[in-house]
Amino acid sequence: MTQGHASRKPYWIVFGSLAILTVLEIIVATPSVGIPKKPMVLALITMALAKASLVGLFFMHLRSERRALKLTVALPFLFPAIYALVLIAEAGWRR
Amino acid sequence: MSAIATASLEPGSQSAAHAVAHALPRDEYFGDATPGKIGMWIFLLSDAFSFGGLLLAYGILRGGAAVWHHPGEPSLGIPFTAFLTFLLICSSVTMVLAVAAANEGHRRQTMLFLALTALGGIGFLTGQFHEYFGLTPGHGLVHEGLIFGQSAYANTFYVTTSFHGAHVLTGTIYILVTLARTAAGKTNANDIEVLGLFWHFVDLIWILVFTFIYLL
Repeated sequence: MTQGHASRKPYWIVFGSLAILTVLEIIVATPSVGIPKKPMVLALITMALAKASLVGLFFMHLRSERRALKLTVALPFLFPAIYALVLIAEAGWRR
Repeated sequence: MSAIATASLEPGSQSAAHAVAHALPRDEYFGDATPGKIGMWIFLLSDAFSFGGLLLAYGILRGGAAVWHHPGEPSLGIPFTAFLTFLLICSSVTMVLAVAAANEGHRRQTMLFLALTALGGIGFLTGQFHEYFGLTPGHGLVHEGLIFGQSAYANTFYVTTSFHGAHVLTGTIYILVTLARTAAGKTNANDIEVLGLFWHFVDLIWILVFTFIYLL
């Protein structure tokens, strides 16, 4: 537990980044902007994962936790990630 | 042996200097993390898998559907939902400020930021109700023809977003209860931090739901 007066600045930087990424997501997803489907999907998923990571690392303070807690939280996500990749590969093979 | 110190939020305690309520032995691997915090992380991990299951099921159904968006079914309102997304992000900021204030032993500031966070949650829930049923007659996805049980598009939308909405409702009640307990001087900084983890998780999940269900 951190005590004393810690800087709030990183929180505002993360807030700004989340807001900017949300606006970018909406622009990328707007059909009239005309971004092809595949790069659009890739960009949207990348931005969503970046936003989720920012919340986890800075707002949930995972960044300053001990390695054991970081690994406890992060490693199990390999399983759904592998499953998602298998699904994407399978969908690609079917087309 | 060093111990974990947690700032108390008893009335009248304005600084962390004289506000050490609990002392737990340091763990070799988890250091300062309290059992409550580790417990919340493990719960959130299991909850993340529930959402992961829903999103994967959505991916399987959508990937395998010949027609996803049937004629007559409304599109999802992205600008309005983007506003709700922004509201949740704002409430995450007020929550992290509540945690920071609690760590410094500032009880009133903690309560103010908790109240603002709860308002964000209530705003989101109101927005979701409006999106589903409409606060004014004739509005809302239900009235526009997105009916639960009629298509995979409607089902995955309602199941995933309402499961998230249930989390926002739970989180808002959790915040209000913690706010009342803080007002009574019955909480410490660790309680606020554990609550914060739950609330940020609700925001984190929405970021993914917004992208996969609304934008893709």
